[in-house]
This record gives sequence, structure tokens and C-alpha cells, in this order.
Amino acid sequence: MASRAIAAAVVAVAAIAFPFAAPHQEYAIDVLFLIFLYGAMATAWNYIGGFAGQVSFGHAAFLGIGAYTTMIMIQNNISLWIAVPVSALLPGLYSLLIGIPAFRLRGPYFSIATIGIGEATRLIALNLNSLTGGASGLTLASAPPKVVLYFAALALCAASIAIAAWIKSSRFGYALAAVRQDPDAAETLGVATTVTKTQALFLSACVLGVAGSVYALYYQFISPDSVFGFSTAISFVIMPIIGGVGTIAGPLVGAVIYTFVREQLTALLANISNADLLAFGLLLIAIVVFEPRGILGIVDMLRRRMRPKPPAAVADG
Amino acid sequence: MAEAATVASETMLSGRALTKRFGGLVAVNDVDVDVQRGEILGLIGPNGAGKSTLFRLIAGIMPPTSGTVSFLGRAITGRPAHDVCVAGVVATHQIVRPFREMTVLENVMVGAFFGRRPRPHGIPAAREAALEALALCALENRANSPARALNLSGQKRLEIARALATRPQVLLLDEVLAGLNPTETDRTLELVREIRDRGVTIVMVEHNLRAVRGLCSRIVVLVEGRKIVEGDPDAVLNDERVVTAYLGATHA
Repeated sequence: MASRAIAAAVVAVAAIAFPFAAPHQEYAIDVLFLIFLYGAMATAWNYIGGFAGQVSFGHAAFLGIGAYTTMIMIQNNISLWIAVPVSALLPGLYSLLIGIPAFRLRGPYFSIATIGIGEATRLIALNLNSLTGGASGLTLASAPPKVVLYFAALALCAASIAIAAWIKSSRFGYALAAVRQDPDAAETLGVATTVTKTQALFLSACVLGVAGSVYALYYQFISPDSVFGFSTAISFVIMPIIGGVGTIAGPLVGAVIYTFVREQLTALLANISNADLLAFGLLLIAIVVFEPRGILGIVDMLRRRMRPKPPAAVADG
Repeated sequence: MAEAATVASETMLSGRALTKRFGGLVAVNDVDVDVQRGEILGLIGPNGAGKSTLFRLIAGIMPPTSGTVSFLGRAITGRPAHDVCVAGVVATHQIVRPFREMTVLENVMVGAFFGRRPRPHGIPAAREAALEALALCALENRANSPARALNLSGQKRLEIARALATRPQVLLLDEVLAGLNPTETDRTLELVREIRDRGVTIVMVEHNLRAVRGLCSRIVVLVEGRKIVEGDPDAVLNDERVVTAYLGATHA
């Protein structure tokens, strides 16, 4: 719809103009940066979790590998132009190690495997002291200016959404939808279901890897608990579900809500640890019970209710 | 006699010594079966005879315990179902399995996109190919309905349309007539003939013997996992062993 394209254009222009209009709003830029980065990652999670219906609880592994790859390469004076592509590729290859065995199994096995692999990856990072610095993490002495990284996150978010839109309207998207809805029927119609799922996971992992790169450069500090943490992995599941799983814009909408709610709650309830997780738990239950299609589903429902049904004659005319 | 009529017969699909065990149960026992180009081969037998299992072995839905399947002379034994489909052999499901969240048209587009080569490039080409298959199956005016909104007869025809969209050389139909009323049955039989006339070889598992007699050029009868007779429909259906298998010894 044209109105949707206009809305997207307005948001994009506002996002691009913001750092120029308000260069000293550092907190706002921090929040917007997080929204774009989370938006990019939640959208990429949705390639496999939403379009293909293979829910992953292990996506923090891809974020973390991307972040550590960039960090380690830059500490060794390797150019960003090499570090960022490698940070995309390594998580992609890592995803094949998970996907190829796990996707041979049907049902929830993939999801269960991702929990184990995510945690195993965190523990490996924690214990590979010589490479990762262990629990104390890694720091970066210098990085590109924050405003540059703000635009990098914005561009990554736009690219991630563009990939989602392309998937939805391509042959690949039909394969993923078929796999989600009935893998056996898909298989008899010529869809190589294991390969299809593995491709979606690979693509998703690469985007997470670049996000990890941007994350590491922006904060100039990473540790296993921040990038590999289970709560990070869970946030990638929460955001698409809040916004609307399997949709193009849903994960970004979810990222906006997730980021604002978390920022507000951590400020409000500073002395209760993990209060935000409690809030998201309740929010998830409410969404799953009342409107599994998420915020976009609620918007759709309200729109239908508010608009009187168009008479059939108009539709024909 | 019958052989003399089909001069240019060519074996499309060929199963040799096919056996499938499920634990102690031998569902299919040492069955040889050949499918000739352009024929409609009926696979019949009482409940539990192993028809559907044999069907699945041929379609690549499950691998045989032993024995081989070849298609146009090339071994396809144990190849995954998607490979077999891309090679040109496609099966419908006895219990209909539409992609429930897709429209009728989108269901068929999946077949068009992923079946035998050459495949359509891009959405418009796939849509066109899918519409063609839908038209043949008299579903074109339901193209934009959700697949789950079709009645059983419609969903059965959707199964066929989706399979046809993969451009098969051999179409395997698993009890497409089950659950249809007489009018729908006649329409489906007409459709199967039409598909055969377009050059697609057909194998059908069927319970409806009247339909099989009228439609099939050849019949294979399975009883307790073994092939007991094969040949011309009238001869096979009057065969003493077949009558015994269906009705019991006292009627033979």
C-alpha cells in the first residue's frame, strides 16, 4: 500500500535527520541506535523463526561471534573493511554447524538444540581466556565516531528489512512458508526442506554477525554475558512476537517497544533486578493469549473494526 | 494381446524385489512392479495389503528395506522425496495436506516453483503456470480463496493441481476418490483421463473397484504385501484369487 511506503519513508528521513537536528541528544541517539540494531537483529531472527517457523533460542551465539571477531581483528590492526565481512561470514558458517545436524530432525528439536548451543558457545567464550579475555571481556581503545555507527545501525536495519521483504515476495519465501506449514507436503512438491531452512538460518546468522560488529564498535566493550547471554537470545524471540511474527515490519515494531519498555523499567525499578524480564514475560503471555499476531495483528483488528465494511458494489466497480 | 497393442511401450518406473519391514511386520514383500509410459496403472488390494506402503516406496516418501526403484532406467532408491519430485515423479497425499495459511493459487505456485525443470522464473511466471493447473482441475475461480476454505472434493483437486504444477512425468494418486460422492467421483475420473491424455503416466492406489475397472489400463493386486496378480482389469477382477482375497474363500 502507498500509505505504508510513505510511512516508511517518513520514518527513514526522520531517522537520518535526527543526529543533524539534535547532535547533543546523546541519550536519544543511544536509544535510537539500540532500536535500529535490535530491529535489524529481530528482523533477521524472523527469517528463520517467523518465515520458516523454526524458533531459535540461540541467536546470541551469532551476535557474539560477530562481536568478538570484530573486536579481536581490530585489536590486531586488521582493517574494518575486512573485519566486518569476516564478522558476517563466521557466524554464518557457525550456523551451518548447528543447522545441518539439527534440521534433519522435525518439530521442536531445532529449538531445543539452539538453547544448548547458545549456552555452550557462551561457556566456550568465557573459558577461552587467551582469545576472548574470559569473563572480563574485551575493550577497544578507539572506534569510529558514534554518529557513524548510528548510521551503520540504521543502514543495517534497513538492509535487514529489505532482505525480509525480498524473501517474502520470492520463490525462497514460498519455500519457507511451505516448510513452516507442512514440511512433508513441501518435500513431495520438490522443496528441499533441510537446505531451505539451513539457507534461512545462514542469512539470519550473517545479519546478526554484522550487528555484533556494530555493537562492539559502538560500546567498545564486550563480555560473554552481554553478547552471548541467554537474556539477549530471548530478546530476539520476544521482539518479533510482540510486533508480529512472520511479518516484515513486526520485528522492528517489537524492537521499538522492547527498547522503550526496557529503558523505562530499568530507570523506574532500578533496585529490582530483572524487572524488565518479568514485564516482558507478562506481555508475551498477554499477546499469545489474546492476539498471537502481535501489535500488527491488533492494529489490523482495530482497523477492520473502525472502518465500515465497504459495500460489495464498490469492490466490483 | 494387450501387449501387442502397446507397441512403443517404455518402462517409466520400475520396482524390483521391493520389501518393506516395520519391525516384525512385512508390509511389502518382494514385489516387482513396472509402470509403462502413458498407462493408468491401478494398485488395488484389501485393507492392509501394503498398497500405500508400496506407493510410498516408489514416491521416495520412505526408503525400502531392500529392493530397488528406478525411473527411466536410473536408480532412485532411497532418494529423498524432493529429489524424486524434481526428477519427474510426484505423489498426492491420501489425507489432503494443503498449506493452510496460503491461498489455493499460492499452494499450486509452490509446486510450480520447485518441481521438475525447466522451472518458471519469477512470481508472474509461476502464477501463470499455477493458474493453468488450477484451470485443468476446475479450481480457477477459487484461486484466491484460502486453501482451508475448500471442501474435501476441492482439497483433493487442489492436491492434484499442486502435483501437476510440478510438471511430472509420472503422477502417483493415493486414493483420490475416497470420500467423494458419485458426481465428484465421475468428475475426478474424467480429470485423471484428461491428465493421462496430456502425456502424464499415472499410478493410482484405489479402493473403488468400479472406477478402477473403467479407468485403468492395467491392474496390480497386492494381498498381504505380495503381488498376486497383474494384468488387464476385467481379467484381474474376475480372477479367482482376487475374488477370494476380497470376499473370502466361501464365495470363490
